[in-house]
Amino acid sequence: MALITLVLLPLLGGLALVAGGRGLAAPVATRVGAALAGVTFLLAVVVAVTRPVVDRSWLPELGVRAHLGVDGIAIPLILLTALVGVLVTIHAMGEVPAGGSPATFVGSLLLVVGGALATFTARDIVLFFLAFELVLIPMWVLIRRFGDPHHPGARAEAGHRFVLYTAVGSTLMLVGILLLVSSAGSTDLGRLVEAGAALPHGRQLTIALLLVTGLAVKVPVFPLHTWLPSAHTIAPTAGSVLLAAILLKMGTYGLVRLPLALVPSGFAALAPWLAIAGVVGIVWGSLVCLVERDLKRLIAYSSVAHMGFVVLGLSTGTVAGLQAALYGNLAHGVISALLFVVVGGLKRRWGSVDLRRSWPALREIAPRRGFALILGLAAALGLPGLAGFWGEFLAVLAAWRPADVTQIPVFRTVAVIAAIGGALAAAYALRVARLLWVGDAVELADPAGVADAVEAVDPSGDGDGDSGQRGTGEGLDVEARGVEWMALSALGLATVLLGVLPWLVLGVMDPAVTALLGGAR
Amino acid sequence: MTPSAPVTLDWLVLAPALVPVAGLLLVLVLDAVLPGRRGLHLAVGVVALVVAAATAVPRALAPDSSPALSLCLPGGTEGACFWRAGPLQSTLQVGVLAATLAVLLLQSDRWHPAGTDAGATHDGAVDVALLLGSATGGVAVAAASDVATWLIALELATLPVVALVALRRTRESAHGALTLMMTSLLSFAILVVGAGLWVLATGGSTLTGAAVRVAWADAATRPVLVLAVLALIAGVGFKLSAVPFHAWTPPTFTSAPLPVTALLAAASKVAALAALLIVLAPLAGLVGAQPAPHAIAFVLGALALASMLVGTVLALRAVDVVRLLAWSTIAQAGWVLLPLSALTAAGHRAAAGYVLTYAAASLVAFAAVSAVRRTTGGEPGSGRELSAYTGLARTHPHVGGPLVLALLTFAGLPPGILGLVAKVVALRPLLGAGLWPLAVAAVVGVVLGIAVYLRWVAVLLGDPAGAEAERDVHLDRGALSVLALGSALLVVATVVPHVLYGLLS
Repeated sequence: MALITLVLLPLLGGLALVAGGRGLAAPVATRVGAALAGVTFLLAVVVAVTRPVVDRSWLPELGVRAHLGVDGIAIPLILLTALVGVLVTIHAMGEVPAGGSPATFVGSLLLVVGGALATFTARDIVLFFLAFELVLIPMWVLIRRFGDPHHPGARAEAGHRFVLYTAVGSTLMLVGILLLVSSAGSTDLGRLVEAGAALPHGRQLTIALLLVTGLAVKVPVFPLHTWLPSAHTIAPTAGSVLLAAILLKMGTYGLVRLPLALVPSGFAALAPWLAIAGVVGIVWGSLVCLVERDLKRLIAYSSVAHMGFVVLGLSTGTVAGLQAALYGNLAHGVISALLFVVVGGLKRRWGSVDLRRSWPALREIAPRRGFALILGLAAALGLPGLAGFWGEFLAVLAAWRPADVTQIPVFRTVAVIAAIGGALAAAYALRVARLLWVGDAVELADPAGVADAVEAVDPSGDGDGDSGQRGTGEGLDVEARGVEWMALSALGLATVLLGVLPWLVLGVMDPAVTALLGGAR
Repeated sequence: MTPSAPVTLDWLVLAPALVPVAGLLLVLVLDAVLPGRRGLHLAVGVVALVVAAATAVPRALAPDSSPALSLCLPGGTEGACFWRAGPLQSTLQVGVLAATLAVLLLQSDRWHPAGTDAGATHDGAVDVALLLGSATGGVAVAAASDVATWLIALELATLPVVALVALRRTRESAHGALTLMMTSLLSFAILVVGAGLWVLATGGSTLTGAAVRVAWADAATRPVLVLAVLALIAGVGFKLSAVPFHAWTPPTFTSAPLPVTALLAAASKVAALAALLIVLAPLAGLVGAQPAPHAIAFVLGALALASMLVGTVLALRAVDVVRLLAWSTIAQAGWVLLPLSALTAAGHRAAAGYVLTYAAASLVAFAAVSAVRRTTGGEPGSGRELSAYTGLARTHPHVGGPLVLALLTFAGLPPGILGLVAKVVALRPLLGAGLWPLAVAAVVGVVLGIAVYLRWVAVLLGDPAGAEAERDVHLDRGALSVLALGSALLVVATVVPHVLYGLLS
């Protein structure tokens, strides 16, 4: 019962808000949304503890059942999703972007959360696919209607790109799923583990190729990542947080649940290629981050790099690698959510976060936001003691000893490159910290940027006169207060907790991961 | 079966077709006795369609199914009956009747976007009678099991529509009716050739499995049979608006009165698929036979892909929403044909499920389109430019909401989950039959389709400022009930898809 309510409450609540909430004022709509998200979180905790199972007939003509359940792999993601759901709805109490009614905004947030919860709890492969598709339209509405108000054209483009890329991916995945179902004769994820592994290698390879390509779009894996930066840049803060913390997770979760668990020999054949794509993503993403001017875009590219580590861990095919991937997945969700809340708030107030311009030092004008930024950057560069460390460290370690000994040369090479790519993260994190936190923008290549900088650095500009001038940021209050500070504190706390107490989560995941690989191998 | 009777007749089995005929006659008699009573004719039409559907429903629900037979010749061998209605056929009959009922309700509204105004100039009785005639043809073709009945029923389903298009009495609609008429004649010619070849190949006029198996086994008759089936597919392809037989669709859709367009888009498509299934059903027994009927599968797959791609690409450019829906119909016809290329019974059920889902969504879309009229700006009196819909889902959620649902059902994106399930069900038989390259190619169709429908959805969700003053949104009872019933159907079938797919198996 708790499980069904967990999935249906945000979905139905969100639908009701979108369909019938037009008249609601912003405070009412956001409070209703936050209350629904809060109850959802409590239900998620109940589900995580009691681990109920629901199994009903749904579409018997296809053999599809409404089969929901949770295991150690899904539980951390469900808790993360529900927590992020609470945070984004609370965040909406302080900030509802223009572009539509507040109820539509909050309702779309809840629909994304509900769709993700359905994805993580589905135990039937067709149901998984349907749930996977549920988040598309609400996310599209968030980007298209509520995105950056300064660029209507870019909004339409980013929204379209997001939907079409993801739809290509999920339809390819659907073809893979149906091929698997018609070859193995079941749609139940549990039963498919044996039936899938028994398929001939060629068939497994075809299925794995379809599934991996489809899911790689969502993760995203280089070179299928190009939808992500534009979507992240344009989306409102809450949308960026949902994208980073929830939607990308659905991709990696899908990779674990479908190709890795169900067609192991096919996946193993693709693993080196996937590892290479992951490592290229790490290096590419980090290099772009070194030169990217738009801070939101920069964080989006750093997501590509982090997901590269996750994919690397997955492709090793070992328990350690899988744990590293799942842990890195979770950590990335928390860290990027934190960074997007920090940067989204800046962008809303300043109008842009172009790093070519000179911005006032956050450590002076907004110490709390500045601290959150530093914490997020430190975690993103993989500082030991923070969330980002374990996933990346363990992934590289696991890549040194892959499950398939014939693949050792490939994996050791990519492990070395990944470690170097990880070091690049320190370079771009420090670059951002220097420009924004220290407020030190001396080297400016762009002459136009210099002009802006001179204008902005003008020491007498206390801001009462030119506070309306978008882009300089002088005199605008950018400190994190109220609900924004609450969201940042919660995410910061989670970052630290995941960093110092990794066994909390690893312990929950361990039996499920071992069972997954044990069952498959 | 008594030997003394030359033909056995089970009237109840024939009721889905006989009741509309009775209604038709009653309407004509009433019109002669009490002329000009629009409401009365309408009531007779509604009652006839509801009763006819009610007689078909029990057979659609029957769990175990030897098909109901009627009009049987003495002797009692397989195929000696002219009428065979299994659950699949009965469900399609219900679909035809329900879609016609929805069109009748739309037709009953006096308020139509100006410039598409149809009802005022001519008599309601003619409309109702023609609709009932078309419904009779659609019902009969679904159960026809010999070539002659099948041909006549298919033409009965088509010809009244030509009259309905022409009755608008504008230059444009005359053009549309002429196009439709020429297309119908051409397709009839091809169908007659196909029927002749069929008789030549199987040595009889029945459309059942036994005769086909015999004809297939013989190397001499096999090519004739393949030709016959291909000609019949081509003939029905016209009615289904499959590429390359689609050219009539956009001009006819845009020039016909809106309710008639809805009829062409919904009821006619269900009837056309029902007709096609009658021809393809015996071939399902040939899968695994040596040699396998590859040519037929290939042609069906090619038609499906071509329709899907051409339809969506051209819909991407359409500005007139009815034209957009016309191209979308062509694309959706591709989706209906796609599972058929597996040549299995599961493929037939998938196609039937798809066509019913599509018909329900189409009727909702047309009902919503019928409610919007432009007051100023653009072409006066027309509400058919995409820009007239700006922000409709925000200003008039009771019209815009169902329209969004219908479009997302076409696109196959949640919350239009039924459309997504229909696509899943449609792709499944292909993969079961080893046609996965075809399924991968269909991915392109899915993605282009999403682009088409989201373009309209984005307009519907847009900022209504400016557009609101320039349009008038008005729902009459008929359109309102179609919107409400259609959306309710889509929602219920989303929660419990079994109600739709259970009917088909």
